[in-house]
Amino acid sequence: MTAGRLRARIALDRGELHLDVALDIAIGATVAVLGPNGAGKTTLLRALAGLHRIAHGQVVLDGEVLEDAAAGVHLPPEARPVGLVFQDHLLFPHLSAVENVAFGLRCRGAGRAAAHRQAAEWLARVGLGDRLNARPGQLSGGQAQRVALARALATEPRLLLLDEPLAALDASTRVEVRRQLRRHLESFPGVRLLVTHDPVEAIALADRLVVLEGGRVVQAGTAGEVTARPRSRYVADLVGVNLYPATAAGDRVVLAGGAVLHAPGAGTGDVFARVHPRAVSLHRRRPEGTPRNVWAGRAEGLDLEGDRVRVQVGGAVPIVAEVTPAAVADLGLGDGGEVWVSLKAAEIDVYPA
Amino acid sequence: MTPSPPDRGMGVPPAAAVVAGVGALFFVLPLAGLVWRAPWSSLAAELGAPEVRQALWLSLVCSAWATALSVAFGVPLAWVLARGQFPGRRLLRALTTLPMVLPPVVGGVALLLAFGRRGLAGQWLDAWFGIRLPFTTAGAVLAATFVAMPFLVLTAEAGFRSADRRLEEAARTLGARPGAVFRRVTLPLVRPSLAAGAVLAWARALGEFGATITFAGNFPGETQTMPLKVYLLLETRPEAAIVLSLVLLTVSLAVLVGLRSRWLGSA
Repeated sequence: MTAGRLRARIALDRGELHLDVALDIAIGATVAVLGPNGAGKTTLLRALAGLHRIAHGQVVLDGEVLEDAAAGVHLPPEARPVGLVFQDHLLFPHLSAVENVAFGLRCRGAGRAAAHRQAAEWLARVGLGDRLNARPGQLSGGQAQRVALARALATEPRLLLLDEPLAALDASTRVEVRRQLRRHLESFPGVRLLVTHDPVEAIALADRLVVLEGGRVVQAGTAGEVTARPRSRYVADLVGVNLYPATAAGDRVVLAGGAVLHAPGAGTGDVFARVHPRAVSLHRRRPEGTPRNVWAGRAEGLDLEGDRVRVQVGGAVPIVAEVTPAAVADLGLGDGGEVWVSLKAAEIDVYPA
Repeated sequence: MTPSPPDRGMGVPPAAAVVAGVGALFFVLPLAGLVWRAPWSSLAAELGAPEVRQALWLSLVCSAWATALSVAFGVPLAWVLARGQFPGRRLLRALTTLPMVLPPVVGGVALLLAFGRRGLAGQWLDAWFGIRLPFTTAGAVLAATFVAMPFLVLTAEAGFRSADRRLEEAARTLGARPGAVFRRVTLPLVRPSLAAGAVLAWARALGEFGATITFAGNFPGETQTMPLKVYLLLETRPEAAIVLSLVLLTVSLAVLVGLRSRWLGSA
């Protein structure tokens, strides 16, 4: 049964993009679809809203079939109980704020006065009761975003979609708008789905993350689950850890490039090996002692990360190490010198792919 | 080093300025000639003459009808040209703008061959409905529409193209059916373009001469519009011709200046 849920499988091709995504979200939950540019995030939202026809799959919202490719069912956007807040808000420039919000109500048959009154209430709810007659051009980015949200909510959808809700705002207002947005999202009694390329936005606004890359879901779960065990280079880069797809064989893992790392209890089969940059040590000369994993590399780049420095080391196993600025000077890393890398076997976190 | 002041345009070489001045004179002198020879003392009397008022009134009626027809048929046509995807679209666009470059007399001949009593469509209009367009006021309207509509189509099509289609999608997600989207979002977005196109079309219709005299003839009160009257009066009463010319000139100038500042943005 799909009562109280959004259950969808959406497969479609658009140019280079081959999107194939399954979603199952309960009413009252907020899910963020996180992914790099071109992953298909916006296409996914547009398909859910009915602006793209899907090639395979179906969209079922709270028991109502919105789309079923096999059965040839495709409800047009105007017939779906779906609200969409566009990235750059797309307020109608020829209408005032209150007329923008009243637009959907008028389309659904409300009289002019009633629609206007309800729209004014919605604007008051998002804190814009004093900007009813402002034109979109006179609103700040944050205000325009709230008008767009009120406009989408006024039609009382059961699925609310937000496309990069904070991307069009400047950094100074983003924190405040994010706080307000979270409050408004919590008061919306339906399925909430937002897409973003900003992990902070995703974690701050959503209960669960769905990571989309190249049109596919590569990882899903709570923010903690996703960041603790990245399953793609994209997430690993977001979290700031080294990640290697590998094959486990007993106490060793064989990386995709053929290099071997010692990792006790790695098990068998396809795995990911995760190494935090802080667990990587750099040395001028080949280190003596316990570490089993030692290899020579070349420092290829430096990035300041807080009060530490991240060193990209090229070689048989490309890896990022985190060291102190003093160590950078001691090791002579500034001019891209040769360096020895050591890694304790116990610091390698291995989990099934 | 102090930063140089912002350029107020590139320096104009003196030779170019002289040639440009000659070019400008070429436009200014004929107007100056009109103003110079205008019978200012008898202006009101000339305008009040019955035959002049008749031509003025007919011109207003014909140009208004031509504008209305251009809007009624030109807006959907522009929309199809801007949004449609069909073979022959480029050819259709070229055909709809052809009257802008066609000599109006040729347009008049073509209209005769199409809508004349033995024309391609005219013979059936006559046989089935008893409608005869040549040498009637309706014919004058048709001729004016033929030359004026391209201005509306061209301007409106540009408007439809530049309108942000995502706003239409936003309207769909808010519950607007395609018809409502067009009425409540697309049309308001392109309204400035439509207004500019309609005014341009009206001004063009007001000045139409060649196609009118060829297709509709030169009958006072029926097809004799202002430009035709000007041409005729030049033989008999040059002062009256000058007065009517001044009227047409003033209208054209007002339209251009008004369009520039209100819709096309001042440059």
